[in-house]
Amino acid sequence: MDKKRVMALVLSTVMALSGAACSTPASKETAAAGTSSDSTVASGKDDATVDTASGEKIFRYSIAADVATLDQQKMNESVAATIGYHIQEGLTRSISGEVYPGIAESWDVSEDGLTYTFHLRDAVWSDGKAITADDFAYGMKRIVDPEVASAFAFIAKPLLNATEITAGEKNVDELGVKVIDEKTLECTLAFPAPYFLQLLSMSQFYATREDLAEQYGSDFAGSADKNVYDGPFKLKEWKPNDRIILEKNENYWDAENVKLDGAEIIVVADENTALAMYEQGELDYVDVPTDLIPNYPDAEFYYSGACDFIKLNTGDGPLANRNFRLALNYGLNRNEFINLSTNGYWTPANRFVLGIVGGESKTWEEEHPYTAFPLDGDQAKAQEYLQTAMSELGVSAPSEIQIELLTTDMERTKKEAEVIQALLQDSLGIVINISLVPRADRLSREETGDYEMVISGILPDYPDPISFLESWETTSPYNHTNYSNPEYDALLEKAYADGNATTRFDTLFEAEKLFMEDGGLVPLQFRRNAKLVNTAVTGVTNYFCGYNINFIHADKAE
Amino acid sequence: MAKYILKRLAVSIVTLFVLITVVFVLVRVMPGDPFTGEKITPEIKANLEAYYGFDKPLPVQYFTYVGNLLKGEFGYSMKFMNRSVGDIIALSFPYSFDLGMRALTLSISLGLIFGILAARNRGKKLDLFCVVVAILGTSIPDFIMGALLQYVFGIEWGLLPVAQYLGFQYTILPSIALGFYTLAMVSRMMRASMLEVISQDYIKTAKSDGISNLRIVWRHQIRNAIMPVVTMLGPVVAATLTGTFVIESIFAIPGMGKYYVESVQNLDYSLVLGMTVFFGSVMIFANFLVDILYGIIDPRIRLGGK
Repeated sequence: MDKKRVMALVLSTVMALSGAACSTPASKETAAAGTSSDSTVASGKDDATVDTASGEKIFRYSIAADVATLDQQKMNESVAATIGYHIQEGLTRSISGEVYPGIAESWDVSEDGLTYTFHLRDAVWSDGKAITADDFAYGMKRIVDPEVASAFAFIAKPLLNATEITAGEKNVDELGVKVIDEKTLECTLAFPAPYFLQLLSMSQFYATREDLAEQYGSDFAGSADKNVYDGPFKLKEWKPNDRIILEKNENYWDAENVKLDGAEIIVVADENTALAMYEQGELDYVDVPTDLIPNYPDAEFYYSGACDFIKLNTGDGPLANRNFRLALNYGLNRNEFINLSTNGYWTPANRFVLGIVGGESKTWEEEHPYTAFPLDGDQAKAQEYLQTAMSELGVSAPSEIQIELLTTDMERTKKEAEVIQALLQDSLGIVINISLVPRADRLSREETGDYEMVISGILPDYPDPISFLESWETTSPYNHTNYSNPEYDALLEKAYADGNATTRFDTLFEAEKLFMEDGGLVPLQFRRNAKLVNTAVTGVTNYFCGYNINFIHADKAE
Repeated sequence: MAKYILKRLAVSIVTLFVLITVVFVLVRVMPGDPFTGEKITPEIKANLEAYYGFDKPLPVQYFTYVGNLLKGEFGYSMKFMNRSVGDIIALSFPYSFDLGMRALTLSISLGLIFGILAARNRGKKLDLFCVVVAILGTSIPDFIMGALLQYVFGIEWGLLPVAQYLGFQYTILPSIALGFYTLAMVSRMMRASMLEVISQDYIKTAKSDGISNLRIVWRHQIRNAIMPVVTMLGPVVAATLTGTFVIESIFAIPGMGKYYVESVQNLDYSLVLGMTVFFGSVMIFANFLVDILYGIIDPRIRLGGK
């Protein structure tokens, strides 16, 4: 075959390829968004850069996976909550842990801390209709309504009758929420929960329009036009698995303080790709993959809120023995663990409750400093507890104690388990067997108590110590460890009933200490992210609860 | 031929039903539970199960599912709560299909050319080049290939965008990364097959008959050598068109491959089932086309089918 013919073939291949470009997916949703339906991928070239070119201030960041839902009451992940935080507003708005008035202009709290009366401001939805107390009452009922089946129903616990309604024991109308008039809403609590105002700023408590929820049913909030918005931004377009586009909500009551014209949230599954896109200027914000942090000394750290620990099944075997659990806790060198598993970028856990959750006026750590176990471990104490435990268990050599350590079959968690195995076998001489399973399997084995030790974690639902501590009460539905201490239960009951902030926090601190002294679990680490932000963008902040990124008051230079 | 097609169609439908049934049972016996979470209470779980109809006995669920399927309803995804499985496929498949078509056009055409040229120039530099390409293509995993292309063309040289799928220039790198393996496979197979054909007696006969070189290559060599490649292409085309997890993740393409893998991880029963039924249909259809192609290429099959 001669050269000319080869060239001809190559050329025809190239032409075939570029020809295919003209028939790329003119997808359904672009047509719905009002762009001409013949806009192919090739001609409808990057909406994003077109926007920036026209001088609009668009904040762009990426998420690893598409959000599961933007239905106010069903959002169950922090990426979705972050978007919810920007397109909706609750009665209150919590910014970095401080509570500010939201759609409610002001509120009164009864002396016993059980009745809250909210006075709504004259605000309107993105479609121009007035926001009423009914909208908020309807939203709160949707959280607990068994027919709506929100996986987050537990968050409404402080509202009177919430738990009973979810369990089907009471009618939805018996929920502790009452519409006084169009602009006044009264909430009755089951117990004085000082964090109630924080809760109201979270997505589950957002107002919801009954007419739309009824009209769209299962499709409610499934696309931009199937919901309305009362936040600083509104949903402009949601391209599943691709991108979520927000634009400024001109109807927002405080719109004059919102400087961005919008935001673009792009689904980028691979974190290295996200970083490359940031380097190319296609993103304004990125979290650096942990193993690449050394290359970015400018990256700024923030706590993601995720706290990891080894959950111990205290039901039977050696782990039912308190001294043995303490031996594990003193035997683990947490500094070493962090250095080996994450190059020292995450923070070794000195206690169970994350130190930056809110206390009475300062953070928990500032008000109640505490180190449950020395971060370097304490070999002498570990041996002491181990010897006592062995004699109590009737074991003659530490190697006779064999424990299974369950974890998710991911690269990172596997490494963590191997480090823990090496450190504990080394310091205590016991035998640890690692068992790797898929995530869903791990979670269900945790739930059914089918494990001995499992690397698990918690992401606080609201910035209060009780979000951490409530799980270990004997009767708690979240307690899958068999941990049970009447003294601990009594402390928590006391804290629930306590309307006084100071004594309540003191009680909670006692509970945390007691839980640690019982060796209830083995705290491991508080996770941190390292972010890079485009220098043209100012005013972006992070928080560990309710949202991760806050760009409401951010600005972007031309 | 019509009878043959009808018979194939009937077999296809039965295959699909067996597939649905097997997958329906398999996803349910997979370890884990779709409604697990830190703070899901038994009451909340019961509400969720009732919401999705999982509180009914399994056979009832099966017949409800098949009944809905016959009406063309795949149900709602459990992870992406406000999206029907049908919508998810309708939105994501065009991206996978588009990328797959580009990758296939590139890999099949170049693969055949490389294979033919290599065989025709056996032992020469051109052959060596094609063999090296084939070895690289089969031995470099696609995620390395993707990252390498991204790094060189996107970051180092800044010629092409590193990710997303917004225009022609965005499609080049993922198409190459996705098609490279198939290209290598096709060229290797074509080369081996061509070499076998070239040494056949009928080629010598054709030459001694004085038939032109081009005519020999086209009518006698390629036509005979391409059969094994066509056989292989059925499943490859189906798999490429329905998306691949790795390439879609690396290049941030909103295709089907990501949903397929993630739905299994999330135990999103309805999405796993819907995706499997769809993928199964595409696979069966692709094999069906291959059978017809056989008939066109090889008259013996065409005649035998009568």
